[in-house]
Amino acid sequence: MQDRLKRMQAEGIAEIAQAPDTRALDDIRVALLGRKGALTEILRGLGTAPPDQRPAIGKAANAVKKALEEAIDARKTVLETQVARREARETAVDMSLPGRRPMRGHMHLVPQVAEEILGIFLELGFQAATGPDVETEYYNFDSLNTPPDHPARDLHDTFFVKPGVVLRSHTSPVQMRVMEKHAPPVAVVVPGRVYRNDYDASHSPMFYQIEGLLVDKGVSFADLKGTLLLFIHRFFGPDTEMRFRPHFFPFTEPSAEVDISCSVCKGEGCRLCKNTGWLEILGCGMVHPVVFGYAGYDCETYTGYAFGLGIDRIAMLRHAIDNIHHLYENDLRFLEQF
Amino acid sequence: MRVSLNWLKEFLDIETGVDGLAEKMTMLGLEIESVERPGAEINKVVVGQIVSIEPHPKADKLVVCKTDVGQPQPVQIVCGAKNVRVGDRIPTALDGATLPGAVGIGCRKMRGVESCGMMCSAHELGLGEDHSGLMILEPNAPIGQDIVSHLGLDDAILEVEVTPNRGDWACMIGVARELAALFETPIRVPEVHIAEGAQRAARLSSVTIEAPELCPRYIGRLLSGVQVGPSPSWLCQRLLAAGQRPINNIVDVTNFVLLETGHPLHAFDYDKLSENRIVVRCAKQNETLETLDGQVRKLDSSMLVIADAERPVALAGIMGGHDSEVGESTSRVFLESAYFEPVSIRRTARALGMQTEASVRFQRGADPEMALFAINRAAGLVQELAGAEVAAGLLDEYPNPPAPVEVELRYGRSDDVLGTCVAPREQRGILERLGFVTVRSSDAGCVVRVPSWRHDVSREADLIEEVARLHGYDKIGVTLPTVRQIDEILAPEEAKLRALRRFLVGQGLTEVFNWTFDSAEAVRKCGLPEAYLDMVELQNPISEQNAAMRSTLIPGLLATASRNLRHGNLDLAAFEIGPVYGPAKNDQELPDQYTRLAIALSGRKGTHHWGRAPEPYDFYDLKGYAESALGFFGVYVQFDAADFGPFQSGHCGRASWAGQPLGYLGMVGKEVLRAFETEQAIFLLEFDLDPLLAHRPPPPEFQTVPAYPASLRDMAVVVDASVPAGELEATARQVGGALLKRVEIFDVYSGKQIPEGKKSVAMNLFFQADDRTLKDEETLASWDTILKHLQERYGAQLR
Repeated sequence: MQDRLKRMQAEGIAEIAQAPDTRALDDIRVALLGRKGALTEILRGLGTAPPDQRPAIGKAANAVKKALEEAIDARKTVLETQVARREARETAVDMSLPGRRPMRGHMHLVPQVAEEILGIFLELGFQAATGPDVETEYYNFDSLNTPPDHPARDLHDTFFVKPGVVLRSHTSPVQMRVMEKHAPPVAVVVPGRVYRNDYDASHSPMFYQIEGLLVDKGVSFADLKGTLLLFIHRFFGPDTEMRFRPHFFPFTEPSAEVDISCSVCKGEGCRLCKNTGWLEILGCGMVHPVVFGYAGYDCETYTGYAFGLGIDRIAMLRHAIDNIHHLYENDLRFLEQF
Repeated sequence: MRVSLNWLKEFLDIETGVDGLAEKMTMLGLEIESVERPGAEINKVVVGQIVSIEPHPKADKLVVCKTDVGQPQPVQIVCGAKNVRVGDRIPTALDGATLPGAVGIGCRKMRGVESCGMMCSAHELGLGEDHSGLMILEPNAPIGQDIVSHLGLDDAILEVEVTPNRGDWACMIGVARELAALFETPIRVPEVHIAEGAQRAARLSSVTIEAPELCPRYIGRLLSGVQVGPSPSWLCQRLLAAGQRPINNIVDVTNFVLLETGHPLHAFDYDKLSENRIVVRCAKQNETLETLDGQVRKLDSSMLVIADAERPVALAGIMGGHDSEVGESTSRVFLESAYFEPVSIRRTARALGMQTEASVRFQRGADPEMALFAINRAAGLVQELAGAEVAAGLLDEYPNPPAPVEVELRYGRSDDVLGTCVAPREQRGILERLGFVTVRSSDAGCVVRVPSWRHDVSREADLIEEVARLHGYDKIGVTLPTVRQIDEILAPEEAKLRALRRFLVGQGLTEVFNWTFDSAEAVRKCGLPEAYLDMVELQNPISEQNAAMRSTLIPGLLATASRNLRHGNLDLAAFEIGPVYGPAKNDQELPDQYTRLAIALSGRKGTHHWGRAPEPYDFYDLKGYAESALGFFGVYVQFDAADFGPFQSGHCGRASWAGQPLGYLGMVGKEVLRAFETEQAIFLLEFDLDPLLAHRPPPPEFQTVPAYPASLRDMAVVVDASVPAGELEATARQVGGALLKRVEIFDVYSGKQIPEGKKSVAMNLFFQADDRTLKDEETLASWDTILKHLQERYGAQLR
C-alpha cells in the first residue's frame, strides 16, 4: 500500500508538471483528489485495511494528498502566469501612438508674463493695487507733477473721454490713489491696461504695464537699483546684467531708464539691441517731492521709489516676438505657443 | 537731434573715440539712438573736373567725358546725366571705388566705349534724395581731393534723444557744456566780431512789448546792405550734417545759430515793416496772418504776435509771416532774438496745429541770456557772409529780468536719497562744473544759483539728480530695502482673478486678451439690447471701430472667434476676463468699470485622438463650463430659460445668484453669426464677476464621512417633452425625505418606444443613513412618494 501511494505521488507529480493548461490540470486534480479520485478511493478503503496499519497508511495518504495539492497549486500559478503573459503580449500597447491628453488651455501671454512679474514682487512683500482705466487728468497728470501745458504731456498721446477725463496713459495714477488713502509705508505693485493714441507697426493703442511703488523712511536710489537687479536676475536669469541710465520722468527725481544686457547677443551687439548690447526694459526713479506734496506725505521724513515696466515689450523681448500686434490678434496658433 | 562730432570738436577737446563718447553721453542722459558715419562707405571718390565731352558713337543718351581727377592723365567716363558741362567739378568715383550700399565701381565697356569710373549725383553719395543730375561742387574745389574730406563726410553724426526737461541740450553749445562738465575740460564758445556802423539802431526802429508776461525779453538788431545769396560750403556742411537744407545765407545763418546756441531767431525784411518798428502784443480777435508756409492763420486774443505798427508780421516764437519774409530783393534786415513764455507758445502752437523748430524750443524753455549771444553771433555772421552793415546798438527790451533761482543742497540728504556716499567736494564740484554758481557754502551743504538755461532745476531733488548723474549712476551700489506692508488688502479681487484664470486654463480654456475699445456698430451687430449702446465714447479714437470703450465682452470675443474660424482654427474653447465700462452715473466724474467673464465654444471638443471620434460642442458643454466657473466661487447659481439678443431663442438661458442676474448663456443666433461672417455654431456666455469677487463664502464645514453603504434605486418616468427635467429632479429632492442624499439624472430620451411629444427621464436616487445599512422597505417608501408626486405634478408615468 505504501508503495502504491509512493508511486501515485511520483506519477501524479510528473503528470501535473506536464499539464499543458489549467483545464488539464483541473482534470488531473479531479482524477487524483476528486470524489472518485484515486487517492480518495484509498482513503475511503482505509476501513478495510488491518487496524494496526491504518494510522500509518492514513498518515502517508494525507502526506501524498498534501504534496499533490501543492504541486497542483504551484503548476497553476505557473500556468496562470503564462496565460497572463501571453495575454499581455497580445494586447501590448503601441508606444509610438499618442496618449489621450486632457484638454489644455493657455493663458494669454500678457497676463502670463504680468503674473510672473507680479509674483516676484509679491514675494518681496509688495501687494497688488488697482485703479480705473478711465482716469481723471488730475491723477494721470497733474498730481504726478505734470501740470497742463507741461511738455511731458506731449510724450503721451492721450485718449480723451471729455475735458478732465482720459484713458490712463500709464499705471502711475494708482500711485497717487493709494498714497492719498494710506499713510506710509506703502509697498504696492499695480498691473493694468494703459492707453496711448499711437497705432503703427510697433505700437498698440492699448498695452499693459506694471508699476511699483515703495515709500518708507530711508528708501534710497541704491534700494531701487537693488530691487530691480533682483527682479531682473529672477526674471531674465542670473547672468543678465543691468544698466541704469539717467532719464526724465516728471514724477521722479532722480529718474532712470533701465537696460538689460541683450538676450540675443549677450552684449556683443546685434540687430535686436541696435548694436548697443543693451535692451531698455523699464523706467524708474525716486518719487518726486511734488508728488509727495499732492499725496500729503512729508518728503523730508519719507522717501520712495517708483518704477514702471511695459509687459508687452518684456514679453516680446523674452519670446522674440517681432510684432506687438500678435499679442492682440488672439490667433489660436499664437496663443497656443505659450 | 543730430550732433556732428566734427562740429562738436570745435567746442571742446574730445579724446574718446566715437563709440566711447556715445556710451558716455548715454550714461549722462543724452541718450544716443544711433551713430551715423556718412563717409564710411565712400572710398576712392575724388573731386574731378570735366575737361571734354564727346557724343557717344552708339547711344544718343550717353556722352563720353574726359575728367581731370588730379592724375597725369584724365580718365574717360561714359555718362548719362543731363547736366554735364565742361569745367564743372563733380564727385568722381575712380576705378575700384565704393559707394554707399556697397556699390563697386570699375572699368568696363558701356555700349562699346571704355568707361573708367563714375561721376556721381548727391543721391549716389548717400547725401539726400537728389538724383536728378550730377552733384556740382564749388568752382574752387581742389581737383583730386578726396570727396570725403572735401565734403566733411569724415564725420560721425550722433542722433541724440533730448528729454523734454532738457531743452538746453538741443544745441551744440548745450551738448558741449554737458560734456565739458563730464570731462572736466573747458569749452570754447565762438568769438563774435561785429563792426558796428555809424547809424544807430534806435534811430531806425523801436521795440515795444505790450505783453511782457508773455515776452519777457525782445532784442532787435538792424542790418543793411545785405546781399542775399548762397552760403559757403562750411556752413552748408554744418546744416546738412544736422539734417537741414541750405536755403540762403540769411536764413542759413539763423538756422545755424539756432543749432549752435539753441536760440531761435527770426529775420524780417525791415522795409516791409509798417513804420519799420516792432510791437509785441496779443493778437486781436479774428486778426489773420499769412505764415511762411502760405497758410492764412486766424488768430485770437490769447495768441502772442510780433506786429509792426499795423498788423501781425509773425506768430511769436512759432513762425514768421509771409509778407515780411526775407527774399532776394531784401537789403535791410530786422533781426529778432527774443524769449517767449513756454506755456503761451505751446497753447498757440497746439491751437493752430503747428510745431516748428522754434516753437519746440520755446516750449521747452529757451535761455533769456542766450538771446543776446545768439543775436550778436548771427549779426556777426551775416556781416561776414552777406556783407551787411550792422547798425550801432541793440534794441533790447528786458523790463523784468527774472530773479536768479537759488537752491540749497545738503550733502547728507543727497547721500541718503542716493544710498551712497559722495564727498561734499565732489558734490559741489559737479554743480559748479555744470554752471551752478555757489552762493553760500558750509560743511553740511551749499546754496547755488541755477544757470539761466536750467529751467528744470528748482529744488534740492533736482540737484541730487545732477550729483548722481555726473558722479555716475553705475557707481551707486545696490542694496535691498526692508519692505514693510500695511494691514489691509488693497485689491482682494486681484488674487482671485489670477486664480480664476489658472482654473479656467486648467479646464481646457484658452485665454484671449482683446483691446477694450469697441463701437456701437459692433454692439448692434450682436443684437444686444439698447442699454449696451450707452458707451463711454472717446474724443480722439484711432478708428470708427474703436470709437468707444466696450460695454460688453461679447462683440470682441465673437470677433475673435470668427476671425479664428476664418483662419482655419476650427476648434475653439476660449475665455476672456476683463473690464467693461458704463457711462458715469449721476455726479460721478468717472465712468463705471465692471469685471466680466466671457466664454466661447465652437467646433469639436477635447483633444483629438486616433481612438475616439471628436464630438462637437453643444449647449450643455457651455453650461458645464458655466457651472464649473461659478463653482469656483462657491456659489449656487440658478439657470432659467430666457431670451437674449445675441442668442437663438430656445437655446438661451440666464444665470442668477441670490436673485441677482449674473448674465446670459446660449447658442449664438444665425443672424449674429452671419454678421460676424461665420456659419459654424458658437456657444457663448458672459457673466458679471463683481458680485462673485466680492462674495466671501465661509470656509466649508466638515461633514461626517458615511460609515454605512448607500443604496441606489433608479426611477425612469415618461413626461411631456416640455417639462424641464430639472424640475423632476428638484421634486425628487424636495419630497424624497432625509434618507435621500443625492439625485442624478442619468438619461433623457425621446424617440422609439416613447410616444410623440413625450420624453423619458431616468434618475439615480442615492439613499443613505449615518447609523445603519438601509433596508429595502425604507428606500422603497421614499421611492413611492417621489413617484406619486411626479405623477401628480407632471403626469409622469413609470416607464
